[in-house]
Amino acid sequence: MRARWKGILIFLTVAGPGIITSNVDNDAGGIATYSMAGSHYGYGLLWSLLPIMVALVIIQEMSARMGVVTGKGLSDLIRERFGVKITVYLLLGVVLTNFGNVIAEFAGVASSLEIFKVSKYLSVPMAAILVWLLVVKGTYRSVEKVFLLACLFYVTYIVSGFLAHPDWGVIGRSLLTPSLDFSSGRLGMIVGLVGTTIAPWMQFYLQAAVVEKNIAVRDYKHSRLDVMVGSIVVTVVAAFIVLTCAATLYPAGVEVETAADAALALEPLAGDYCAALFAFGLLNASLFSASILPLSTAFVVCEGMGWEVGVNKKFSEAPQFYGLYTLIVFLGAAVVLFPGIPLFPVMYISQVINGLVLPVILVVMLLLINNRKVMGDYTNRRVYNCVSWITSAILAILSVFYLFTLVKV
Amino acid sequence: MIKETFENGSEMFVFFSQLRGRPLVDEKGTHLGKLGDLKVRLGELFPKVIALLVRRPREKKPLSLDWTEVQSLNGDTVRLKPGADKKLRPAEVNHEEILLGDELLDKQVVDTYGAKIERVNDIHLLVLNTDLHIVHVDIGIRGILRRLGWINAMDAAINWLFAYQIKDDMVSWKFVQPLAVDMRKGNLKLNVDLKRLHEIHPSDLADILEELDQENRNRVFKALDLQTAAETLEELDPRLQVSLIESAPAARASDILEEMAPDEATDLLADLSDDHKQRLIETMEQPHRETLEELLQFGEGTAGSVMTKDFICLEDDRTIGDAIEEFRKVRHPLDSISYIYVTDKEKRLEGVLTLRHLIICDHAAQLSKLMNTHLVKVRPQDDVDDVADIFVKYKFMVLPVVDESDHLEGVITLKDVVEFKR
Repeated sequence: MRARWKGILIFLTVAGPGIITSNVDNDAGGIATYSMAGSHYGYGLLWSLLPIMVALVIIQEMSARMGVVTGKGLSDLIRERFGVKITVYLLLGVVLTNFGNVIAEFAGVASSLEIFKVSKYLSVPMAAILVWLLVVKGTYRSVEKVFLLACLFYVTYIVSGFLAHPDWGVIGRSLLTPSLDFSSGRLGMIVGLVGTTIAPWMQFYLQAAVVEKNIAVRDYKHSRLDVMVGSIVVTVVAAFIVLTCAATLYPAGVEVETAADAALALEPLAGDYCAALFAFGLLNASLFSASILPLSTAFVVCEGMGWEVGVNKKFSEAPQFYGLYTLIVFLGAAVVLFPGIPLFPVMYISQVINGLVLPVILVVMLLLINNRKVMGDYTNRRVYNCVSWITSAILAILSVFYLFTLVKV
Repeated sequence: MIKETFENGSEMFVFFSQLRGRPLVDEKGTHLGKLGDLKVRLGELFPKVIALLVRRPREKKPLSLDWTEVQSLNGDTVRLKPGADKKLRPAEVNHEEILLGDELLDKQVVDTYGAKIERVNDIHLLVLNTDLHIVHVDIGIRGILRRLGWINAMDAAINWLFAYQIKDDMVSWKFVQPLAVDMRKGNLKLNVDLKRLHEIHPSDLADILEELDQENRNRVFKALDLQTAAETLEELDPRLQVSLIESAPAARASDILEEMAPDEATDLLADLSDDHKQRLIETMEQPHRETLEELLQFGEGTAGSVMTKDFICLEDDRTIGDAIEEFRKVRHPLDSISYIYVTDKEKRLEGVLTLRHLIICDHAAQLSKLMNTHLVKVRPQDDVDDVADIFVKYKFMVLPVVDESDHLEGVITLKDVVEFKR
């Protein structure tokens, strides 16, 4: 009994990175994709979230394991094993896709608050300043607490899901007997779901957060649990977004393209509360991801280049770190505010780079985790290795496929 | 592009990134492979390259060739002496040797001058006569640009835009401690001498350890002498203190604890698991062991838990001369011995003397005649917060801690209280 309590206690001190990383995944772009999936195809694609969850667990488990065992970030390991060239070009790609995502988050803040009749010229600068202050003035531990609190607010999606009165019987049937209809539209949507759930930045962020927590190798099993809990939570939230839209918008024939559209469309169909909760969820998710993405980007770049890193340092001690962080936050917010800048091409380019970078990162990760010099006795076991190579291969193929669908459009 | 010549009397700098990958040719110009890596024997101030590793297509493992087989470096090739191809041997790396490409480039090093962790972007070598020496490691942006092949374009662009030249950022090799590991023993491969590492202030050394990953942290810690290790440990976060002490063999761990201030050592011991704590205390020598066992009895946040046993105490019939003698004998930190305590025959605390007394009073004078008997004392079970209030009120540097019968148990310094409150 005492051992169990001790285990729970250790889990609580170790938990965080996995749960936070997974939830950031349900960002503005993610919510938009889930809303689209629900409004276009009803409950039809709900099943695809299960294999995505499995893939998420497999990929993230490797990140967490590398973090715990080596005590080094992913960009650090890449730099040490593969040299400066690969590192610089890979990081350049990560910075560009992350920047695109940050813009999407601020756009999410703007559109969610516009539902509550707040002008974006007020909401976006406020959000940028809030996010910037949180990280520059906070310490890692306090920031992590704020982030964990933000994770709790995702419950709004579950509540709005119940308010939408979905048909649970149909949901159960569609989960148990997945409709393997791979017409091009459906396949494209699945690829979109995968693309928004498994992104390059998460591997970097998760590993960095695990390293920052100084988790001992003997506590690794708790860290693995953290990753699994995170992946399950993220999938449940995603599923509720899909089914909210599937229960209300799909039968009404309303096909939405963004998360804010979905919230607006929900109002007449599912009631004010449901729509307001949906919009609030979007605001929370956008703000949350807008704080983490720039931070993660600055971390990753500085670590790879050997510049001073850390929220616990002063500006003069880590100028590149704070400089990059500040630049990404405020430039990202500014892009949303400038009327002349077309958002679509920016997002488009960011998604294309995302699709190019992900396969490279997955391969690099698998090479690193199977390197005994790096991982010692903690390399992948044979069966697990097969599974992870296959998963990575599927993800890589899907992301390249996604690239083609994007380029074709 | 630099065209190095390589004859007697020549002096020329070259970067490792410019040498790596160069074709190796014999006197007839036949291609023998590519320069894969350079091997250096540590131990000198600016150590010499002793061998080069040759990469050949179709061979997985690189072969080693002594540096003495190199005839010349000319621009973009390395010319070998006649018959060099017969002298290729399987490569092996000794514990005092380091491979520049494999163990230094792109890795972290400790810059003992700037007291920081840096990442090596390039390595600056000096061609001196027919030898090649390491002189600097490049930690700046120029090193990165050079390896990306952007350096000339970037220089031109920056110069055109801002009329400015990006500066080199290099650290002299004598200040560099690589984090390369001797696989046989799991120790760090040490540069010239360890003194440089020990010259870093313990607070900076603690920052460096905090920044490193666990394995490297343990290795650097292992390379420190007992006193530096103890001082550095005192500056570290409790979580890291525990992990470092646990990683050290019991004998070394208890030696380090003996070197630490007793109150700091007690705090650290209190954070360890019971078995581990017991094992360390048992391996400790007297009188440290007894002191720590006593201190360990007091609960967290009490005066007893922050007090130290490092004080000077004499009976009241002794003289100033005796006190000076006592003062000479002890090696305690100065802040805890800025007062000399005086007791009666039953060891009850009676009065106190300051360092000023020792300096200005007659050596033959008896302590009881000089001592100040107006004492503010605290009990071991008192709350540290209350002790802090006393410090604020009276502006003392040190307070004595006594038990019910006025026996001196220890002293609390202002520093101890400040550290506890922080």
